[in-house]
Amino acid sequence: MSAEVFIALLLWGIIAGLDLVSVLQSMVGRPLVAATVAGALAGDPANGVLIGMALELFALEFLPVGGARYPDYGPASVAAAAAAVGMPLGQLGVPLVLGLVLAYGGDWSLVGLRRWNTWRVRRAARGLDAGDLHTISRIQLGGILWDALRSLALTGAGLGLAWAARTAPPLDDRRGLLLTAVLIGIGLANAAQNALRLADPRRAGWWLALGLAGGTAWVVLR
Amino acid sequence: MGRPPVSAFVRTGLRLLTVQACWNYERMIGVGLGYASEPLLRALPGGRAGEPYAAAMRRATQYFNAHPYLTGLAAGALARAEHAEVPGEQVERLRDTLLGPLGAVGDRLVWAGTLPAASAVGLALSASAPAGVGVAALLTLYNVPHVALRVWGLRAGWRSGAALARALGTPLLRAALRIIGPLATVCVGLALPAVAGRLAGTLELAAWVAAAAGAAAAWVVGRWLAPSLGVVRLGLLAAVVVWLGTAW
Amino acid sequence: MTDVLVRVDDRLVHGQVVVGWGRALGLRHIVLVDDAIRASPWEQDLYRMGVPSAVQIEFASVADAATAFPRWAADAAHTILLLGSVETLARLCAVAPVRRVNLGGIHQQPGRREHLPYVFLTEAEADRLRALDRAGVAISAQDVPTRRAVPIEELLA
Repeated sequence: MSAEVFIALLLWGIIAGLDLVSVLQSMVGRPLVAATVAGALAGDPANGVLIGMALELFALEFLPVGGARYPDYGPASVAAAAAAVGMPLGQLGVPLVLGLVLAYGGDWSLVGLRRWNTWRVRRAARGLDAGDLHTISRIQLGGILWDALRSLALTGAGLGLAWAARTAPPLDDRRGLLLTAVLIGIGLANAAQNALRLADPRRAGWWLALGLAGGTAWVVLR
Repeated sequence: MGRPPVSAFVRTGLRLLTVQACWNYERMIGVGLGYASEPLLRALPGGRAGEPYAAAMRRATQYFNAHPYLTGLAAGALARAEHAEVPGEQVERLRDTLLGPLGAVGDRLVWAGTLPAASAVGLALSASAPAGVGVAALLTLYNVPHVALRVWGLRAGWRSGAALARALGTPLLRAALRIIGPLATVCVGLALPAVAGRLAGTLELAAWVAAAAGAAAAWVVGRWLAPSLGVVRLGLLAAVVVWLGTAW
Repeated sequence: MTDVLVRVDDRLVHGQVVVGWGRALGLRHIVLVDDAIRASPWEQDLYRMGVPSAVQIEFASVADAATAFPRWAADAAHTILLLGSVETLARLCAVAPVRRVNLGGIHQQPGRREHLPYVFLTEAEADRLRALDRAGVAISAQDVPTRRAVPIEELLA
C-alpha cells in the first residue's frame, strides 16, 4: 500500500469515526458506505462492497438508543476493506473478523471517550455553570478533536492489523472459507432477527415474510 | 418579544450538527445544546452584556439528552421561552420534560425506522447494481429526511415554544411514525435474498451448509440463549470456535 | 406469574424504553407514575407523542397506583411502570406489592456518586434501595435489554 493510499484511508477512517456520534451523523460511517469508499481508495472497489455488505448485516443490530453503548463500525469497515484487497470472496472471513474486532474496540473506545469527556466537563463545571461562552466552546469543540484522535487511533491500529493479516494469513483457504460462510450466516440471521424488532411484534413476522417473498421473487425473476 | 435574526437560526442549525461532540455521562449533550443555542440567546434584551442572556446561558449547558436530529426542537422551544421571559424554573421544567419524548420520537423515527430501511435498500442495490449505486441510495434515502427533520425541528421549536406537543403531533410525523417501522421490516426482508445470493452465491455447497449452521446458531443465541451477547461478540466467538475447532 | 416491571429512569418515556424495552418485552401498556405529571396536561401530551400507537400510556399518581396496581399486574408480561426517582419508588413500594425493579437511568446531580455510567445515587438513595432489597424486592440496573443486568449487591458494593 502506497503512502498516499494509507493517508487517504486514515483520513477516511477519521471522517467515518467522527460521523458516528460527534459530527453530522450522515451515516458515512455505516459499513456499506465506509467500506465501499475504502475499497475504492485501496484499489479494490468490488471487495469493498462485499465487506461493506457483510458488515452492514451485523450493523443492522445497532440501535444507538438514548445514549446506550454500541460498536463503532466506521474505522472498522475501513480497515476490513483494506485487509480484503485482492482476496477471493471465500476468503473474506479474516477481514470480517478484523472488522468485528475493531468495531468491538470502537465500542470500548467510545466508552473511554465519554468518560474522558465527563472528566473534562467536571473540571470545567464552574465555567459551564456560569454560562461562560469561552468555556462552553472549548469543551464542546475539544470533544471533536478528541473523537478525531480516537478515530485516528482506531483506523491506524486497524490498518496495522490488516497489514499483519495479509502478511501472515492466520487461516488456510479451507478454514478461511468455513469462517467466511459462518460469518455470512450469522450476519443474515442478525439482520432478519432485528428486522422483527422494528414493527409491532404481533405483525412483524408477517411484514418480514412479505419482504422475503418479494425479495426472493425479485432474485428469481432477475 | 424580540426575534433573533435569520443568521442566528442558521448558526444554531450548523452548531446543532455537532451537538453530541462532547457526549458525557454527566450532562450528556447538555453542553452541546448550550453551545448550539447561544446564537439565539444573543438577541435577548441587552445582548451579550444583558442579564437575560447571562441567566439563560447559566441554564443552557445543564443535563440534557434527546435524539440529535430533534434537539433543534428543544433549542428553538427553550430559546423561545427565554425570549418570552418565562420564569427560569419553568424553562428548566420544559427542558426536563423534553428529554424523554424527543428521544423516543427520534429513536423510533430514525434509528428504528429510516436507518434500517435506507440501509436495506442500499444493501439490495449493492447486491444487484454497479458499485456505488447502493451507497448513493443509502445516503440519499437517509439524509433527505434527516436534513428535513433538522430544519423543521429548529423552525417548529421556535414557532411552538412550550406548545411543542402540537408540533410533534403534526399528521405527517404521526403517519411517518406509524408506517416507518413496518416499512423498514419489509425493506430488510426484500434485501436479504439478494444479499444472501451475492455474498454466498458463488460459494460451494459445503459453505452454504456452514452459513446455514451459522445462521441457525445466531438465531438461537440471539433469541433464547444469550440475547445480551450482541452480534459482534457472537461473530468473534464463532471465529474462535472455527479457529480452535479446525486446529486439530 | 411474572411480576410487573417497575423502571426508575429520570427521562421516563424515551428511546431506551420505547425502542429497547418496548420491542424486547412486546410492551402494550406503559404506566407513568409521577404526581407532578399526573397534574400537568401539557406534559402528558408530550409523553403521549413518544409512545407508539399500539402501546397504551396511562398517567398515575402514587396514590392512584395503590388501587390500580393489581390491574397492571394482571398483564405484567406486557406492562412497564416508569418512575422518575428512587424517592417515588420508595413511596410506591409503601403502597403496592412491587417485586421487580429495574434501575434504567438516574443521572448526575450534586451529592450523587457514580455507580454505573447511567446510575448516580446519593447515600440516602442507596440506603433506600438497600432497604427495599432487604424487604425482598429484586433490584438490578440495566439500561437496555441487550446489556447485562447488574444486581443491586454488585451495584452498591
